[in-house]
Amino acid sequence: MKRILAIALAACLVAVSCSKPAEKPAEKAKEPPLVAMTTDANGLGDGSFNDGVWAGLQKAEADGLAKAKVLESHAMTDYVPNLSGLAEDGAKLVFGVGFLMVEQIQEAAKAHPETFYAGIDHTYFMDSIPANLIGVSYKEQEAGYLAGIVAGQMTKEFAKNSPKLNDKNVIGAVLGMDIPPVERYLAGYIAGAKSVNPGVDVRYIVAGSFGDRAKGKEATIALIDQGADIVLQIAGLTGMGVIDAARERGIFAIGADVDQNAAAPEFVLTSALKGTTSSAYVTIKELAAGTLKGGVNRVFGLAEGSIDLAPFHQHDAIVPQSVKDAVAKAKAGIVDGSVKVPSALADLGIKK
Amino acid sequence: MMETLAALFTPQLVEATVRLAAPVILAAMAAVVCERSGVTNIAMEGIMLVGAFFAALVAWYTGSPWLGLVGGAAAGALYSLFFAWAAISLHFNHVVAGAIMNILAFGLTRYLMMVAYGRQGTSNAVARTLHDYKTAIPVLSDIPFIGKAFFDQTPIVYLALLSVVAWAWIFKRTRLGLSIEASGEYPMALETMGRSVVKTRYTAVVLGGVMCGLAGAFLSIENSNSFTEGMTDGRGFIALAANIAGGWRPVGVFLASLFFGFVDALQLRAQGLGVIDLPSELFLVFPYVATIAAVAGLVKRSRPPAAVGKDFSVEGGGD
Repeated sequence: MKRILAIALAACLVAVSCSKPAEKPAEKAKEPPLVAMTTDANGLGDGSFNDGVWAGLQKAEADGLAKAKVLESHAMTDYVPNLSGLAEDGAKLVFGVGFLMVEQIQEAAKAHPETFYAGIDHTYFMDSIPANLIGVSYKEQEAGYLAGIVAGQMTKEFAKNSPKLNDKNVIGAVLGMDIPPVERYLAGYIAGAKSVNPGVDVRYIVAGSFGDRAKGKEATIALIDQGADIVLQIAGLTGMGVIDAARERGIFAIGADVDQNAAAPEFVLTSALKGTTSSAYVTIKELAAGTLKGGVNRVFGLAEGSIDLAPFHQHDAIVPQSVKDAVAKAKAGIVDGSVKVPSALADLGIKK
Repeated sequence: MMETLAALFTPQLVEATVRLAAPVILAAMAAVVCERSGVTNIAMEGIMLVGAFFAALVAWYTGSPWLGLVGGAAAGALYSLFFAWAAISLHFNHVVAGAIMNILAFGLTRYLMMVAYGRQGTSNAVARTLHDYKTAIPVLSDIPFIGKAFFDQTPIVYLALLSVVAWAWIFKRTRLGLSIEASGEYPMALETMGRSVVKTRYTAVVLGGVMCGLAGAFLSIENSNSFTEGMTDGRGFIALAANIAGGWRPVGVFLASLFFGFVDALQLRAQGLGVIDLPSELFLVFPYVATIAAVAGLVKRSRPPAAVGKDFSVEGGGD
């Protein structure tokens, strides 16, 4: 019995493996290329850059530029099999989302030279970057800068506009981990706040995780106890705890990456937006047009439409026109190059 | 220097300590009860996560955080019943079964997020949280410095404190406590006395599950207002360390959990104040270094239950 089963199974395998190549060439000619992504350990539903890249892929699929596919990672150990597996599935372009797979994607790119890889939130060393790998990073500092302008002015000049604000002139930020994209957000935030309110005290706490909501909340309460009335979250799901604390203690939180107003409309003042959607879409478009080049680091910012500040929603009335004007002026300055936003704490003279 | 120390050591620091410690206390108490009964339970992390999910689901669906609390505890009990079945009845290696429960919990809650809410990440917010029922106990909450931290608290924090007293009493004064003790030290003796080791261990694991479920409910519907994937973030393992550091005894484990909460609260607050000029990574390893130090320093004076982690069957002569 076992032997018959084994033979039948083998026959099936042979049949399957023989039949595949016969159909493939005909199909390939008319079908758009397969473009795939693998998420970081947070997976889809992070309401942030995993979802953003996936939206870019879906948009490209809707426009007939690509066939989209996503593989979720549940742990860091999934990164290598996912990145390599997608190339073996025939993907022409694979997005790897998240700073923490920066090593793994370089290995995968070397192992699969026929496939383009794009690492979201990555910047590679130019002397070792494989020719089929694209580093996609963002000018988070520009988003942080805009948020900083709002926080810096609201916490002092316009503190009377809301009972959530106090007269202590302290604002805060909660960081997930101290990694380059997070530091860029923070550097911009501090620079933006100081540009409109030189005396402001900006305090920040590194939670040490992007998935620990309770610790994000505790970090925020610590900042509130030290006088902060506006706290920027730069911490992924840990940042949900920042919003928890804002709700419980009656202060303002500023969201990051996407518009987080819906999480607690009364307590989220605005959000620093970093749109991975447009950068993913642009990359796929170039792939479809045949103009995509590897071996480069690309940076998307305000000028490229990847960075912005979210609307104030119901807080629109308490944010004076002068603050909105200052934000608009900074945006124009960043685009035309007259405003230079620092991207590291060292640029601000802060020792880490 | 005195000024910064004064800014650091405030009553708020004690409050933060208790909040950070509360879920660890409950999970560590679960570890104590399971291990004293002879079952090595490393599944607290997963049980907590399942409890957190169902607490948020029930509280959201019914609108009542109290039903959510019951739902979280019940889910924790049911999920650990599964663990008990694998470890006790099917004679699985306890550590392997526990590891499976942890991994399964992560995937299960992720899947159930899709079923219940149609998305991943963060669940729908509950209308009311248990934090709305924060109550101060008169007189006790007026004790300077620590009064508010221990006696002006939310429901599950009180339950956590109560569980320490309850278990200390159960182990000292009751038949259940003695049975659990015997089941972990010399199960054959318990069996010879005509009491079932299997039943005792099931009871211990399920009661542990209730406490882990409560710890999960604390995270989702008391400290927050919704469930977030992976929100336990290693607390089940810290609880395991607290169990060892506290010498498998309720009061010792309570103090160890408080110590971990304190170290964490202290490092967060020190970062905000910028008191010590050190890289943030050093602050982050602080709780773990403290864990190692505590375990290394304290464990010498206590020992684990003799039969912990050992499979039991009457036919096998107790081994």
